[in-house]
Amino acid sequence: MKYICQICGYVYDEETEGVPFGELPDNWTCPMCKAPKNMFLPEDAEEEERKKPDMEIPELQDMERLPPGVLAALFSNLAKGAEKQYQSHQEKLFREIAAYYEAAVPEIPDADISLLMKIAERNISLYGEAMETARRDGDRGAMRALTWGGKIQKIITSILSQYEKEGESALENVDIWVCTICGFIYTGENPPAICPVCKVPSWKFSKVV
Amino acid sequence: MKRIAIRNLRLCTKDCLCLYVCPTGASDTEDSIIDTSKCIGCGSCSDACPSGAISLVPAEYPAQQRKSEKVMDVMEKLAASKASEEKIASMLSADESAPNLKRLLKALKQSARLSAEDIMREGGYMLPQSGNSLSLLSRLADEPSQGFPKEAAKELLSSIRCNDGGYEPPSAMYKCERCFTEFESSSGDKAVCPMCGAEGNHLKPI
Ligand code: SF4
Ligand code: SF4
Repeated sequence: MKYICQICGYVYDEETEGVPFGELPDNWTCPMCKAPKNMFLPEDAEEEERKKPDMEIPELQDMERLPPGVLAALFSNLAKGAEKQYQSHQEKLFREIAAYYEAAVPEIPDADISLLMKIAERNISLYGEAMETARRDGDRGAMRALTWGGKIQKIITSILSQYEKEGESALENVDIWVCTICGFIYTGENPPAICPVCKVPSWKFSKVV
Repeated sequence: MKRIAIRNLRLCTKDCLCLYVCPTGASDTEDSIIDTSKCIGCGSCSDACPSGAISLVPAEYPAQQRKSEKVMDVMEKLAASKASEEKIASMLSADESAPNLKRLLKALKQSARLSAEDIMREGGYMLPQSGNSLSLLSRLADEPSQGFPKEAAKELLSSIRCNDGGYEPPSAMYKCERCFTEFESSSGDKAVCPMCGAEGNHLKPI
């Protein structure tokens, strides 16, 4: 039987590896992208997973269409768009607007790790729902963003739940890296040679200090 | 189509021919960014560059692929939820004393922002010059919330030309004091009297 990493696509083939997947220790991680063991699905189940109907999405409360947090991201993205066109002055102006909206995001009451975890988990289903819509529309650009983001969302929940289990020791003596292109989070001494999600080279990773 | 040269500073080794071949001096600047106002898009520099550091790009970008309402809708909803993720991670990391959790929360904040940016990029706001981006900006500037950087928004609105017809800069009425013609001119362009060609001081806004 083959097991496939839902993050980077690494194939664990029981036949060639010699060890049945179920017998690998719980702290075993993907040799390519360090995703935890529960990010692997059997080859045939993978198809199933993809076909799974939409989960019931809990209604989001008080959602303005474009709340300040979204405007912050929208304008910091336009700043990047200006930067790519070498319009450094426009980039600066867009950043100013993005910073204004970032500061305007209201505090969230009762923010704690378990709320963060809940939202991260809800986002997995929001990604699924959005993907269905993008697919029906044949919007491949949106599908690209949702594929990347959906994988990253899974990694986020798994790192968080690992931290909830093990506490500080989960990240002892190890660096945390963020892919500056897609937002993939990697823990290890060095960043991976290529980002398992968006495939950019290691120098696009930045170390979190 | 008019093109201009841009230099990828990561690839440039700063030691070769592009300065010698440029007929306008556009490629020779103190910050190594090619001066787009001088560049005539002749391509000599990119032909001469041994590092593939210079490319010629269109001076005006084509309109982006249209997004359906449905896609924009789900993308906005998702981005709002990613923004909450970013905010919580940011609030918690500011107060956190456990060093490893603090680092993790910072990583989550950065990651959530990158994802939200990507979602909005694909949710209809890819280019600064798209009608979506500019009309949103002008709506925000017209009814500014407190402290909104209005000047920055105005400067952007007057310096970026819309590439898909989705945004018309507001126009202003002028009266020419030389020939007394009254005419309309869009605020993005320099006003010139359509009858006698007068500009500047001869024109009074009405
Ligand atoms: S020719 Fe290319 S690599 Fe050499 S200085 Fe010019 S841009 Fe840089
Ligand atoms: S395209 Fe021509 S004018 Fe523009 S920077 Fe290159 S050599 Fe100079």
